[in-house]
Amino acid sequence: MRKLLSILMLGLVLFIAACGTEGEAEETAGDNTEEAETTSSDSAEEANEESGEKQTVTFWHSMGGAGQEAIDEIVAGYNESQDKVQVNAEYQGTYDESLTKFNAVAGSDSAPTMIQTFEIGTMSMINSGQIVPIQEFVDADNYDMSGLEENITNYYSLDGTFYSMPFNSSTPVMYYNKDAFEAAGLDPEAPPETFEEVEEVSRAIVESNPEMKGFALQAYGWLWEQLLANQGALLLNNDNGRTDTPTEIGWTEEEGKSIFNWVKNMVDDGTFANYGTNGDNMVAGFLAEDVSMFLQSSASSRDVIDNAPFEVGIAFLPHPEDKERQGVVIGGASLWMIDGKPEAEQQAAWDFMKYLQTPEVQAQWHVGTGYFAINPAAYEEQIVVDAHTEMPQLKVTVEQLQATESSYATQGALMDMLPQGRKVMETALETVYNGGEVDAAYNTAVEQFNAAIEQANAARGE
Amino acid sequence: MSIASDLAVQNQDSMELVFKQVRKKQKIKSFIKGILFLSPSILLFSVFLFYPMLRTIYLSFFLTDASGSTTVFVGWQNYINLFTSPVFLKSMMSTFLFVLYTVPVTVIISLFLAVIANEKLKGVGFFRTIYSSSMGISVAAASVFWLYLFNPSMGFLNMIVEALGFEAIGWLTDPAWALVSISITTIWMNIGFTFLILLGGLQSIDSYLYESADIDGAGYFYKLRRITIPMLSPTLFFVITVTIINAFQTFGQIDILTQGGPANETNLIVYSIYREAFVNYQFGSASAQAVVLFILILLMTAIQFKFGERKVHYQ
Repeated sequence: MRKLLSILMLGLVLFIAACGTEGEAEETAGDNTEEAETTSSDSAEEANEESGEKQTVTFWHSMGGAGQEAIDEIVAGYNESQDKVQVNAEYQGTYDESLTKFNAVAGSDSAPTMIQTFEIGTMSMINSGQIVPIQEFVDADNYDMSGLEENITNYYSLDGTFYSMPFNSSTPVMYYNKDAFEAAGLDPEAPPETFEEVEEVSRAIVESNPEMKGFALQAYGWLWEQLLANQGALLLNNDNGRTDTPTEIGWTEEEGKSIFNWVKNMVDDGTFANYGTNGDNMVAGFLAEDVSMFLQSSASSRDVIDNAPFEVGIAFLPHPEDKERQGVVIGGASLWMIDGKPEAEQQAAWDFMKYLQTPEVQAQWHVGTGYFAINPAAYEEQIVVDAHTEMPQLKVTVEQLQATESSYATQGALMDMLPQGRKVMETALETVYNGGEVDAAYNTAVEQFNAAIEQANAARGE
Repeated sequence: MSIASDLAVQNQDSMELVFKQVRKKQKIKSFIKGILFLSPSILLFSVFLFYPMLRTIYLSFFLTDASGSTTVFVGWQNYINLFTSPVFLKSMMSTFLFVLYTVPVTVIISLFLAVIANEKLKGVGFFRTIYSSSMGISVAAASVFWLYLFNPSMGFLNMIVEALGFEAIGWLTDPAWALVSISITTIWMNIGFTFLILLGGLQSIDSYLYESADIDGAGYFYKLRRITIPMLSPTLFFVITVTIINAFQTFGQIDILTQGGPANETNLIVYSIYREAFVNYQFGSASAQAVVLFILILLMTAIQFKFGERKVHYQ
């Protein structure tokens, strides 16, 4: 028995240790992806044998589903288009997971040549000191970045410097079930635009069909940030962290609470469908006609349109009636060049990044996923024109982006604690979904959000 | 005469000295031998256990950057923050509730299954296989399987509930249900292992005990209470200890099913450590939580050995 105890104890210690130290983090991360890695490294090895002296570039990305298919196709197209560089695209799980793995292997040989990281990781990537600003390659190559969508360059350029290469960008949009709108006697071509209209439409939907809920909002911090920006509100002070390091939240109580009150009204009306933090369940519920409207990244449009047994409409993100629509913040991810790799390897990766910006590739990417083309020239491509005629919904995301007013609010926030802030808001939203009081949930969230900012500033030790 | 006796004493003294020296030498020798035998495990434990453990304690006194390197020394502040944070206190609370929900139910169900599967019946091997089969399923696979059962739109469980005329339950999104749902999943996953160990324990009980009880005219439940349970107590003790420790360390099903939600209701302590370290990149406070968890399990196990083991009957 004693021996058993000591074995158990030691086992426990090992586990705890794995959670605590950087060296061990690698182990944990490695376990999670063993499966994914075996398959991808197998194919990487094969490719190496075939190519011989080809320069290999390892590309970590976080695109699952339709996105992964599209990216694999693009990478294959690139590898065939020339014979000097071999790009190996490896799926590393969600952005969070991939970033965790990267932090564990950063600086070692296992680090990738380039990595795709979500927009809110921008600040922590820059602070990590493990990356080469893309601006160096732009300058050395005299590459012209002005061809890219203006709203995208707004987000990713800091004081005129590009640290990463924009790649996949999306905005949140409202998906709705046109057939359900018709059944409820609503105009399917006139989706609700304001919070108040959404509430009203939800009531009409539930009245006509008690089996169907009106509206669903996934408890997802990103959507909350977008609903805030659409009112012209800042997430962090000091102009969303773009003029100085933020010290506290940037929104006012009225702006922050409006979203909670909106949801609360629908919960009280019984028209709100609660899918918690699970986006897949929400989409499944929409496809199963359990809910008539939901907010989600435009990157899902292709998936949703293809799989819905009914007519899908896509509309702009709603806003409170008494506020002007300001537009949305760029969501999505950009590509980072990793420091400490041989010059030749980095040049090869740079070449691949440039390839990704070309109108042809962006057109293919936009049509295949619903991310918008970061290079507006792509909209002139024939496949995009065709797709837009066939699926006019794909155009909405582009229009919404172009209608966005450029301001600090819609440029988006920059800070390394943003992932933590999202979790805080998600918890608060879920509390309200389950009948919690708006005031209590909101105040706790603000307190925790501020504490996270304070903690992050303290941890930087400046 | 006296010289002779002196000599004899001296001789005896030196003999004793030599003897002592030899013994000392032998002691050193066997010590070195022992160390040699132990060295592989000492080395492995140091690299994989003692060093990380010390490092965790060290980290818990610091703030860190995203890569986990220490930046500012904060002393006990991480611990103070933990015990004043409603989120952490809630996660402790959920963890204890979770242990309370899962451990007794798992042990009772498996004990019941083990007792009925221990009967000498035709085809009992088939049932033994079925009962222990959940052991062969990985946490990830089992969680995904349950994720579909719990699905709000097309989940099997909600179909049953609705067919029975009740309103659909938000298994993973309703705070009143989420922890229960996770517990059900965990109980289901743990039953296989617990069942197998208990069945093994039952089969090693000598049959002569039952035979003499039969001769004395003891009934089925009397035998169960007076022979089976006491004889099974070492196994039961082991199973309870392991299940408790497992419950404290639950992670996979949380990550897949709820991610700590709704509103931190299922944010069990190990998941909270993971989130603090790998989502928030606060390795300092994550380490502090890990240390708290370690002390907690150490205490729980020590208490169990102190009080629980008294009731254990070793043959």
